[in-house]
Amino acid sequence: MAAEPVVELEKIGKTYYSGDVATPVLFDISFSVVPGEFVAVVGGSGSGKTTLLNLMGLLDRPTTGTIRVEGQEVSQLDELGRARARLQRLGFIFQFHYLLPEFTVLENALMPCRMRGRAFEKAQEPRMRELLTAVGLSEKLKVRPSQLSGGQQQRVAVVRSLANDPAVVFADEPTGNLDSVSGRMVFDLMKRLSRESGTAFVMVTHDDDFALEADRVIRIRDGRMQAPAVAAG
Amino acid sequence: MSAYFIRSVAFRHLRYSISQSLLTIGVVAISVLLIIYLWTVISGTQERITLNTTGSLPHITVEPPERTPVAAWQLTALGLDPDTLYVGEVVNLPKAREGIEDWQLWLPYLDGVERTLTTVSPSVTGQAFMNRGSRRQSVRIVGVIPARYNGIVPLEDALQNGRFLGMTSGDVVLGWKLAKDFGLKLRDKVRLEGPEGLALNFTVAGIYNTGFGQVDDGQVFVTLRDGQSLLELGGSISAFGLKFTDLYEAEEIAQRIAPTLPFKVRSWVVDNPNLFRTLDAQSQTRNLILIMTTIASGFGIASILVMVVTSKYREIGILKAMGATPGQIQKIFVLEGLLLAIVGCMVGVPLGVLLLKGLAAIRVVGPDGRVDSPFLIIIEPSVLLGASLVAIIVGAIASYFPARRAGQVDPMQVIRGA
Repeated sequence: MAAEPVVELEKIGKTYYSGDVATPVLFDISFSVVPGEFVAVVGGSGSGKTTLLNLMGLLDRPTTGTIRVEGQEVSQLDELGRARARLQRLGFIFQFHYLLPEFTVLENALMPCRMRGRAFEKAQEPRMRELLTAVGLSEKLKVRPSQLSGGQQQRVAVVRSLANDPAVVFADEPTGNLDSVSGRMVFDLMKRLSRESGTAFVMVTHDDDFALEADRVIRIRDGRMQAPAVAAG
Repeated sequence: MSAYFIRSVAFRHLRYSISQSLLTIGVVAISVLLIIYLWTVISGTQERITLNTTGSLPHITVEPPERTPVAAWQLTALGLDPDTLYVGEVVNLPKAREGIEDWQLWLPYLDGVERTLTTVSPSVTGQAFMNRGSRRQSVRIVGVIPARYNGIVPLEDALQNGRFLGMTSGDVVLGWKLAKDFGLKLRDKVRLEGPEGLALNFTVAGIYNTGFGQVDDGQVFVTLRDGQSLLELGGSISAFGLKFTDLYEAEEIAQRIAPTLPFKVRSWVVDNPNLFRTLDAQSQTRNLILIMTTIASGFGIASILVMVVTSKYREIGILKAMGATPGQIQKIFVLEGLLLAIVGCMVGVPLGVLLLKGLAAIRVVGPDGRVDSPFLIIIEPSVLLGASLVAIIVGAIASYFPARRAGQVDPMQVIRGA
């Protein structure tokens, strides 16, 4: 029996309006992601893949269709409801790490927990220390992000995305700003953490090599989903 | 949600951007200092001007009513027929009638006329000549009950020599200027000549320096009875002088008690309309400066916070993407504004107090030889508190708008751009 999907998209469409001008960006996108699955979203510039990620990550609302996270309809939640869902069930990694320069590496990794209160943060601290150690940053827990290399900073961002033990992590070009060695390291790390924690990952990427290593590749062209292709192992 | 998150981010921002924080704290501190300084110095100056003008005056004077001649037939109370011709006799009222004859009956009533009353002083006043050797000068005679008059002008405290409260019949107490002009020392004899030509000898019992020009020069004090004799007023007095704890209430009290008395009741305000206008203009200038200072400080806080928000645009975006609500982001920046304002007050208030204490310690020698402070500085806790409150409220308002902008940052717009 197939596992209950963590994210389900049903006939998602998105149109941007600027005055009287309507610009449709996405058409009729439907797919779902199961726990622990690693999905790559690929497509050319302007294909709508980032828009898709924003919709799935509840940063934006679809014009048509529904999105369910762990079975719950979330696409029409108000801003506060979406913020709460993002905080509790979703994780994010961006092209730029956007770590807060005022906080240490450990504090940055714990920031999503901190938003949920001091007690919650305290409870999660051992797990985050462990994760940071697992990604090779055990010596850097107390330093500021500015003292880390780009690859190290992005590794912190990857760990941070898992802070609230999310159902799914959305990664928008997480290796796009890194050299190939660091990029590979970060990608492998995400795959490993996905496998180990059972957290689903949805990654937007330009890099076909990484896409081919995903469990599934979703190709977007001109706002439409191409026929699904299952990547070779 | 979590106050801990809001607090920790706000504190960390301020600590991390320490130079910006110190700059804002400086702006607030200077504003608070200016508000405290301006308020205290200008209020003190006003107080001093008022005291200098009114210090030697009673707050309220109760005098015999002015007598305006009225035709006999206009006195309806007499029931006279206006068509009938009446023949009358011209009578010169004796001087005594122009005073308050039954003052001893009114004194107990006035003593209890108002809760804030401090003194009622019956007195006689009139012009006289002071003679000594070949020197002759017109002076104003004031006959008083020393214990009561001392409540109007504290002559006992202003004495350079001799006594005032213990003044008895035959004594005269006068100002240092007059004493100098006449070369008078304690126990010297001097001759006073009343307006009707009656002359009496007096002994100098005290020489004072009040700092009020009109009291120190050209005015001499004798006992009430001696004054009555010299001015030939019989048993009547010229006026009651009343003093209260708050001089600014005088006009209101005067209007309240006037209908209860068969006398003319006048407050110092009526006698000094220019002073009132000057003080009012000064107050408005002070208020204008204070409002400008406050606005400038508000803009200072706001502009620095706008800078902070702009520089943290991306971090705000990522925090929001991770699930921070607009309300939480807004609270972070309002808290930052408040903290800056509070620390600014904590710096500005002691600096203001220090500056004022420094000013209060300055001493200069006046033209009359008295060593005195050029500023009247009264440090009011309410002014310190008020200035702090103003700064904190302005800080909150000034931070609200940048904070709201921060709360509205769209994470989608910032996470993609480098």
